[in-house]
Amino acid sequence: MSTSRVDVGDRLERHGATPARESTPSARAFVLEVSDLSVHYGVDANMVRAVHDVTLNVRRSTVLGVAGESGSGKSTLVYALTRLLRAPGVISGGQAILNVSSPDDPTQVTPVNLTTASERELRRVRWSHVSIVLQSALNALNPVRRIGREFDEVLRTHRRSLSRSDRRRRAAELLALVGLEPDRLDRFPHELSGGQRQRTMIALALALDPELVVMDEPTTALDVVTQREIITELAELRSRFGFAMIFITHDLSLLVELADEIVVMYAGSIVERANAGELYAAPRHPYTLGLLESFPPLHGERRELTGIAGSPPDLAAESVGCSFAPRCPFAMDRCRAESPPLAPLGDTGRSVACWLHTEHSVVPVPAPLARRWTVPSGPAAPGVSR
Amino acid sequence: MKTLRLPRSPKVLLGLGIVGFFIIMTVVGPWLAPDNPSSTAFPALLGPSAHHWLGTTSLGQDIFSQLLVGARATMVVALVAGLVATLLSMVIGVSAGYLGGVSDDGLSLLSNVFLAIPGLPLLIVIDSYLPVTSRSNEFVIGLIISLTGWAWGARVLRAQTMSLRNRDFVEAARIIGESRRRIMFTEIAPNLLPVLASSLLFTVLYSIGAYVTLAYIGLTSTAVWNWGTMLYWAQANNAPLSNEWYWFVPPGTCIALVGTGLALLNFGIDEFINPRLRAGGLSSRQRRSLGLPRRTRLGLTPVLRPRAPRGAPRRNVVSS
Amino acid sequence: MMTDVVAPVARLSARGLTRHFTTRVPGRILAAKRVTRAVEDVSLDLVAGRVTAVVGESGSGKSVLARMLARIVTPTSGELFLEGNAIALRARRTLDYAAQVQLVLQDPFASMNPVHPVRHSLERPLLIHGAHKAEVDELARSVLARVALDPPDRFLDRYPHELSGGQLQRVSIARALCVQPSVLLADEPISMLDVSVRLGILNLLKGLADHERLAILYITHDIASARYLADETIVMYAGQVVERSPGTVLIDEPAHPYTQLLIASVPDPSGAARVDRGAGESRPFVRAEEGCAFALRCPHATSRCRHECPPAFVIGEGHVSRCWLHADQAPASSDLATPGRQREGEATKT
Repeated sequence: MSTSRVDVGDRLERHGATPARESTPSARAFVLEVSDLSVHYGVDANMVRAVHDVTLNVRRSTVLGVAGESGSGKSTLVYALTRLLRAPGVISGGQAILNVSSPDDPTQVTPVNLTTASERELRRVRWSHVSIVLQSALNALNPVRRIGREFDEVLRTHRRSLSRSDRRRRAAELLALVGLEPDRLDRFPHELSGGQRQRTMIALALALDPELVVMDEPTTALDVVTQREIITELAELRSRFGFAMIFITHDLSLLVELADEIVVMYAGSIVERANAGELYAAPRHPYTLGLLESFPPLHGERRELTGIAGSPPDLAAESVGCSFAPRCPFAMDRCRAESPPLAPLGDTGRSVACWLHTEHSVVPVPAPLARRWTVPSGPAAPGVSR
Repeated sequence: MKTLRLPRSPKVLLGLGIVGFFIIMTVVGPWLAPDNPSSTAFPALLGPSAHHWLGTTSLGQDIFSQLLVGARATMVVALVAGLVATLLSMVIGVSAGYLGGVSDDGLSLLSNVFLAIPGLPLLIVIDSYLPVTSRSNEFVIGLIISLTGWAWGARVLRAQTMSLRNRDFVEAARIIGESRRRIMFTEIAPNLLPVLASSLLFTVLYSIGAYVTLAYIGLTSTAVWNWGTMLYWAQANNAPLSNEWYWFVPPGTCIALVGTGLALLNFGIDEFINPRLRAGGLSSRQRRSLGLPRRTRLGLTPVLRPRAPRGAPRRNVVSS
Repeated sequence: MMTDVVAPVARLSARGLTRHFTTRVPGRILAAKRVTRAVEDVSLDLVAGRVTAVVGESGSGKSVLARMLARIVTPTSGELFLEGNAIALRARRTLDYAAQVQLVLQDPFASMNPVHPVRHSLERPLLIHGAHKAEVDELARSVLARVALDPPDRFLDRYPHELSGGQLQRVSIARALCVQPSVLLADEPISMLDVSVRLGILNLLKGLADHERLAILYITHDIASARYLADETIVMYAGQVVERSPGTVLIDEPAHPYTQLLIASVPDPSGAARVDRGAGESRPFVRAEEGCAFALRCPHATSRCRHECPPAFVIGEGHVSRCWLHADQAPASSDLATPGRQREGEATKT
């Protein structure tokens, strides 16, 4: 045990000593680089492939939205890349690199490979550099502790220099950030409303000024008004502190408003990746189109919508071809035989995993997947960051 | 029904083995007994031998035969008492928890009274009023013991029912017009099965103790052989002091073994109730074959590296 | 609302439904009791073949309203009429009532008993309501087909944990349909479901209203989904009806500031203009002791709002709003919460 401690210490020191060499342009630009990550549940014959070969990058100070229905692997993906997924969940391939920037000099970046990191290294980066907000704040907060105690614990563990009163002051500041009165510190979780608990979780996640905040359906359990308030607040906090965010939800319309870039997941794979405004204006994967068509609109004529037929695939069953083919209105023979790779779509900077969009496809792209549905309304579209 | 899962844990298998052994003994014991347990045809106080595996009593009775015959009465009383007490605790606990209000107050008062009265003295009092003929009847004794053993289970089940009664599926049953009795016993009770099973095991265990104690202090009919009466006679004849261990150790061991078996079985129920224990991640064999650390750490997803060469530095770090 | 004069009798009508909950104030043993006004004087008519949508956030009392209509919760005061007949609210709910009015709960995962297969959930209501043992299997199959769970054999013997949320919600609706109700109350039936399966449930409800002439009450916090379904829309805040209109008029032209807030809260990627939103800590449960319940969150609140509770103002055909903003533009009608009287008022006007 002692030798391994030294070993880990050495590695940390080495990282600290030679950061300049590591600061490649991509490391400076992206806070998180995930390549070919695969996750299984179980390792024997009954194993379920929850995530396969997912590659994505999160640019600094931007929001990456991950959309998909339940069972699409979106939550598994983020739990796995932060190494929070419990066995029998197993990372079976690929890697996730967190580019930790030094607090003194933001241009100095130290990559931490989350998939090979030791427990000690992970403990060092979790919360300080990457923090998580979960869907159910009620389950995440200890019911027999006052809210203030949760803040105190985090600050005491990671900011040893703070005195008791400093910690209390900092906790009140953090609550103020999310629009809660400081007297909430003396409350128990059950005395707060759902929205207030979720705000508390967000304040806790921001306690150590992380570079990346992962939000797993933080607003799904809340009603629309509270959801709107929290989303608005998140946008303000982000512009103030400049953290990057991974926002997971099944609500694509929410993501379009909130995210800079969106990846749409289906059955454990990314099926489409695009700039948020573009994704909404011109969906190219039939599944994305279906998701966007699933929202009854607030404006315009009332018309019958159909959404997506069928139900999500059973991941335990071995499937051939595109996993969306059984529900796809445009499925061709090829779709049922071969699984399409995620490929760049021309030079638009976006990618899609669909045979309809391959260059030498003989089948013309169906009209709904070729046209623009709306004209991007200039600065109103939040996703145009590049 | 759901597919029956065979327990894999060695603890549970051992428990099953022990309890199974004694249940078989209950059924076939009296037929296997080589001699009449009451027959005084043999020399007194023989040590264990090929003829008398566990020796003889001071009256010249075969102890091994007593043990085999005595198993039936002991186990039958325990099972009857356990089943009746569990049934009582279910009816009273679930009714109190579901109905609430005055019914709850009354039933809770009743179970609190039974909890507060010391069980054994009550048993002794009731038992001493029984006609002698009933004292030899296992079912009557079992019923009496169950009367003192249901209260604890009722309290646990009441608490569990109260947490279930506001669940949506109970409300849904009310909405379609299901009667209260059916809601309690076909909607709520099946969800309490693990608790009921656990409570059954412990009341059986309690009943063995209570029955053996009653017999040991001579309050059951001495005409019926059970492990308690064996201890009674051994004690009455000063067996412990005169080193006649073969007289009192075998029944004592049997009682202890049944108790251990039941407690081990309870682990199986634990595994059944707690889904996290059931889907306990990866088995240690799987971990070993994948080269993963044996002990799971909270919040540390295992990473498979099939291509990593053996003895690579990373492996050393992780597995140490 | 002019058609109301000749409109068929409502299947289920509520007049002035009110429910107060009394809770003890924690920490004080004597006296101190707090009254929560969960639902305050709500009236509505559920008409065959029409969907009435009730919109509001959590704590607005909409779920309590649904439970009062299903008679799972006893109203503090008010009246219920089933097919025009007054219901004795103090008496126990009869099987007959259960056969007419059914409620579908919000969480499909929690509303199925985990130890029983789907078959049990469908056969019990059938047996309770007088089906013969021999025919229940066939009836259960036909009801599954009605909610588009095909083939029924694939679902009858499944346990709840083997089905997806969308499938479970269909089973839940099927269970309610087993008793052949004329009124179906749906309490946020889609809020726990994935976006991709929500439309399926909404279309199912719409089909039940259009083709099977069920009177449907659709409760939601998502005003966009109400717009998709509703033949009448009611917005509730803190137990009160604050705005109501036929069709979706109030969504297209919201008059009450709370309705405007609800609409502005819906994620809308098309980026249409938003109205001003109240900022600061949300106070969904705060209900002012006097004055308008929404005054504390309202961007337009004046001192009058804080002291006087606004009555309902008619601002269009059948469109009423309980807000002082409309005091000068529109004549104050009789109380919003009693559409019957309001109709009379209109009739005399014409």
